[in-house]
This record gives sequence, structure tokens and C-alpha cells, in this order.
Amino acid sequence: MSTLKRNSKAREAILGSIRSHLAASVPHDTRELALHQVDVSTVSDSDRVEFGHKAPAGTSLIDRFKRNLEAVGGHCFIAPDEAGTARALTGIISDLQKTNFRAQRIAISDLPVVEKLMYLTDLEIEELTVTPNASDIFGFDVGITTAQAAIAETGTLVLDSAHERHRLVSLVPPVHIAIVDASRIYNTLAEALALLRTGKEISPTVTFVTGPSRTADIELTLTIGVHGPQEVYVIVRGA
Amino acid sequence: MNHFSSETFRENAKAALADSHLRGALKHATSLFGERRREAAAGLPNWEDLRNQARAIKDEVLLHLDQYLEEFVRNAESRGAQVHWARDGAEANAIICALARERQARIIVKSKSMTTEETHLNSTLEAVGMQVVETDLGEYIIQLAEETPSHIIAPAIHKTRGQIAELFTSELGMPPTDDLVQLTNTARTTLRDRFAAADVGISGVNFGVAETGTIVIVENEGNIRLTTSLPRMHVAVMGIEKLVPRFADLDVFLKLLPRSGTGQRLTAYQSFITGTKREATDEGPEELHIVLLDNGRSRMLAHPVTRQSLACIRCGACLNACPVYQQIGGHAYGSVYQGPIGAVITPQLIGIEKTSQLPYASSLCGACREVCPVKIDIPRLLLHLRGEITARSRRSIRERLLFKVWAKVMMSPSLYRMSAVAGRIIQRIVPISRAWTSGRDLRPIESRSFRDQFVQKGDDPKRRDGRGVPPLQNTP
Repeated sequence: MSTLKRNSKAREAILGSIRSHLAASVPHDTRELALHQVDVSTVSDSDRVEFGHKAPAGTSLIDRFKRNLEAVGGHCFIAPDEAGTARALTGIISDLQKTNFRAQRIAISDLPVVEKLMYLTDLEIEELTVTPNASDIFGFDVGITTAQAAIAETGTLVLDSAHERHRLVSLVPPVHIAIVDASRIYNTLAEALALLRTGKEISPTVTFVTGPSRTADIELTLTIGVHGPQEVYVIVRGA
Repeated sequence: MNHFSSETFRENAKAALADSHLRGALKHATSLFGERRREAAAGLPNWEDLRNQARAIKDEVLLHLDQYLEEFVRNAESRGAQVHWARDGAEANAIICALARERQARIIVKSKSMTTEETHLNSTLEAVGMQVVETDLGEYIIQLAEETPSHIIAPAIHKTRGQIAELFTSELGMPPTDDLVQLTNTARTTLRDRFAAADVGISGVNFGVAETGTIVIVENEGNIRLTTSLPRMHVAVMGIEKLVPRFADLDVFLKLLPRSGTGQRLTAYQSFITGTKREATDEGPEELHIVLLDNGRSRMLAHPVTRQSLACIRCGACLNACPVYQQIGGHAYGSVYQGPIGAVITPQLIGIEKTSQLPYASSLCGACREVCPVKIDIPRLLLHLRGEITARSRRSIRERLLFKVWAKVMMSPSLYRMSAVAGRIIQRIVPISRAWTSGRDLRPIESRSFRDQFVQKGDDPKRRDGRGVPPLQNTP
């Protein structure tokens, strides 16, 4: 039997099974409804309750973002402008070079603004490569990208692959540095999700990143940096 | 050593109870997860509203599952994904095997997927000569040890770091150490080689969004991001029940799942994957295949009580809350899905004949129902399944007669009163229900019934002085 034929046969069988079993359930559903008043109606968008944490009066989105990112082990710097962002980058990388992190081979995403920032820094490094491919990326020490948005209530970065090639640069090197505009920080998860759905199209890959990679698979003891970055730095620009 | 069968649940449980190391590990894990879940839930106002909303969304999906599936498939396909329908595990495995062979795959990296555990995908792929590597740290440990997961969130909680260190030393040539950072680094380095060489990445799916055809996968380690980014083909295996109607519904589930599972506000990573890449030069796989698995799920739609099993989001909260799981752990269940939810899902997936002990692995205390983020009434499901088991089994005439008499007595107040009087006398003369009393005390029946006491107390003037509880009207 051809693959296509098998697939359409399986499809019809599964949909048929769903329909016949749902039909068989109708008499029981009626009884159940009478018994328990189970609400099976659609939750309309207007009924939707906003469950996010409300920001305490007086705290800015940036403060909230910073606090929540630091709570999960990330680092946050705030820079007023381009020059400040470059200074922050210099500081982060040169500090890393003083520790046992080898911050010499640096991978950056394809956004010109990131490359420009790197030239504004005052660093001595061995290598700077724009979006190394999958076979080379494993040798890099630091990955630098921007983030398309951030979520204050969780300290989360929103990486949208439609706007930047940063899937591997943000993931494979042991250190990830992300730059996000202060104006792109949203308060809640719900706002960020709504943002992804504006317009008809949706990006092929969106990744939410909240702090460094973590695991507790051995004796439930938290260990940082199992498969993804061990260190996550965020520079909030334009604040 | 831990390839138990559900058919021998009682024996498995006994063996687990005798394992003091296992019980210590379980106590630590379940109380820690339980505590973190409580704190995380308390940190969100309207937790109850959130649970109700999640359940309403799932009920909506399940009652129109055919329509939402078709919508999901239409949207995923229009964005370049290829969707495969699999009636059972064997069919799903055959589809994936064929996909991998057509591309001459040799190395396959996998991120954690309970659904592929359910279909035993790894052994199928290995049988045709492919190397399958589990990349979630816990799953990787379990794979090296040739064991099975013992907890849905923490698959290797039954192993100590010493055992894991020995395993890494013998299997991976790691110098002896029990330093956690070094253990984790060894796994990271070894697995990076595999990621770099892999031809295919296989993942599970936490949520499928009908209105966009998006699949959502949540994790903490980053192995899912690697699995779905590096190899040229990504295969996502998804149970047909995993859908939510709208993208905005994810807000509810992304709040409930991490808090219920690990007590986190959000796990480190969520990947939202919608079809394939748009430009050839973009990063990521060239092909995305979504395998939709039924494998007994559509049968559960046939009754509102069983249907709610399909609302499960696999958070593991019911395992941590269950006094039975807390004592015996996951292996004793002899099944992929364990604990309270496993005891109701497994018999429905693989048939009640081989799993008839599982619905009895519960004291019906209701702790699972209380913590369930989608409000599955697991005790009711357990009773429903027990009913099915009883209806099928050939019971002795004596037992049937006994319960007929019991039902008669319980439905007639006068017969009930008479039998209570008789019971008081008989209990003193004949030792009854020895099987029951071997592990419990059977208290003697009170000399005066509640009714008698109530009538008297109701007339007691001391209870009418305004301080005590006013007596209820005792209507005859």
C-alpha cells in the first residue's frame, strides 16, 4: 500500500473512531450534565481572566524584568544608549576572560546592529563570526544576539527566528548575551503570546528563554548549564 | 532489573517497599516537588479559576476533537509540515522508521517523549540498525543503565549520584568522581558529539495549537532546542488529545504546567514551532513531520468519565501527591504512565485484562484530584474502571448473593437497623473478614447507633443554652 493511501486510510479510521465514540457518549453526557453541571462551553476571549502578577505600584517593567531574571540565575545590565550597551558588552566579556570561561571565540547573530556594537567594544578576542553553521558552532565560547521582546513577570527573552538568525548562537555556546530594547519589555506572558499572534502569519520558530539551562535530574539537585548556556546576560538598551 | 509487569503489581509493590534506598529517594522527591507545587500555586491569585479555565478548554477540544484535529492539520500542512496519522504504536513506529530509512539516517537524537515510550519506538529503530540517543539527562542515564523511567518529570530519581558516576565511568570512560558538575559536563560533552552527528531529531509535543498548526514543547535543559534545531529532519510525535483551540489558550497552560510539575513559574525554554523554515538559508531542519497517535485514545471519548483522562497535561503532580506512589515509586506500576494517572490511563490504553490490579492501587483519598491542574476526577475514574473489572469478572455465586443482600439492607432503613442489632451480637461470636482484618483493625460496632444518640442529644437541654450548636430538626 502506498504511503499516501495508508495515511488517508489511517486518518479516516481515527476521525471515524473519534466521531463514533463521541456519539456513543451523548446519552452519558446528558446525564453527567444534569448531575454535575459541567461547563463545557467555550471560554470566550471576553471572559478570559488576566492571571498575571500585577506589578506593585512604582516598579517599572525594567525593574521587574531584572528582578525576575536574576531570580532564575540570569544577569541583567541596563544601558541608556548604544555607547552604554557597548560598554556593558565590554565589561561582561572582559570579566569572563578573567575567569575560567574562555571568552575568545565569539559568535554573533546576523543583525548588523550586533556586529556594530562589537566594533564599538574595546576587546581583544581571537575570533568573531557571524552565524557560524551547525558544524562549526560547537567551538564557540560566547553567543551574542538581540531579543525581539521580553516578559517582565517571568524574566523571559522572546527570540523570534523570523527577524534574526539566532537559534544556534543563542543556544550552543556556554555563554549567551542578549540585547533587548527597553520599549520591547511586556508585562505578562499573555501580552507576549498576543504579540506573536498579531497579523495572520506566525513565525516558524519562536523560543522563550528564561535564565540559563538547568537540570535537577541527578538527586534532584539543581545543576546549571546542562545542554544550553550556563550563563545568560541581558543588556536592556535605551532605558 | 526493573522491567516489571503491571500484571504483578502486588509483588512489584512489595519488592519496592523492601527497598529502603528507593523509599528514601521517593520521599525526598515527592515531598520536594509537592512543596514547590504548593508554593507556586499559592503565588498565583485565581489558581482555581485557572484550573477551571484549563479544564473548560480541554473539554471543548475533546468534545469536538475531530474538528480541531482537522483544523490543526490544515494549518500545520499549509506551513510546510507533513502530518502522519497512526492508529496504534506499531503504525507510528513504522512511519518513523520509514522516514529515517528513506534518508539513510544512522544516528537519531531524541528529547523526552512519553508518547514514544508508550510505542516503544527506540527498540523498533534499534532493530533496523539505527543508533538512538536519549538526550534529556535523566532519560540518558536511564538509557545507559538499560532501565525505564520511574517518574514522569525526573526519570532517574531512583538512582543515586554514586550509581550514576559508576555508570558514566564504565560506559563513557569518565574518571571516577561524584561531583555533580563533572557528571553533568560529561553528559553534555558526550551528547554534543551525538547532536553534531545526528541525522534525525525526534521530540514529543506538549501542546498543539489548532488555529495556527503550532507545536509547543517545554523544557529546562535545552536538549529539545538542540534536537529540533540541528538535525535536518525533525519528527514530532503527538497524541491526538494534545490540542488547544487558540494560541491565546497557551497562557493558561504555560502557567499551570511548570507550576504543577516542578514549581517553576516558567521552565527555562518553550519552543513554538510552526511549520518548516521559510527560506532555504534559514536555520533549522528542512523537514518537519508530525505523527498523530491514537493508540486507544479515541476510545476514551465514549464516556464523560473516561474522556477526562485525555485532559491530562503530564505534569506529574498526582504522582507526588499520591500516598501509594510515594511509597512504591513508578516501576512497580509496570507501565509507562505511573501513579494515579497511570493507574487510569494504562488500563484504557492497553486493555484491562493485563492491568486489572492498577485501578486498585489507590486508597481513593482524593489527593490526586486536589492537585490536578486540569481537575481530572481520578478517584471517580478509578471507581469507574473497578466497576468495569467487576462487571467482566466471573464472580462466585456467594459473592454476588452477598452484595445483593447488602444492597437490599442498605436501601431499607428498617432492615438496616435490624442488621445493626444482629451485627453487634454476631461480631462478638464469629470472627469475620479475616483478610480485611489482617492489616487493619475492625472496630466493634457501637452499642448505640448514631440515630439513637442523635435523638437523645437533640433533647439535651444543655445543648440549647445558646453556646453549643443548635440541634437540627430531627424529622422522623
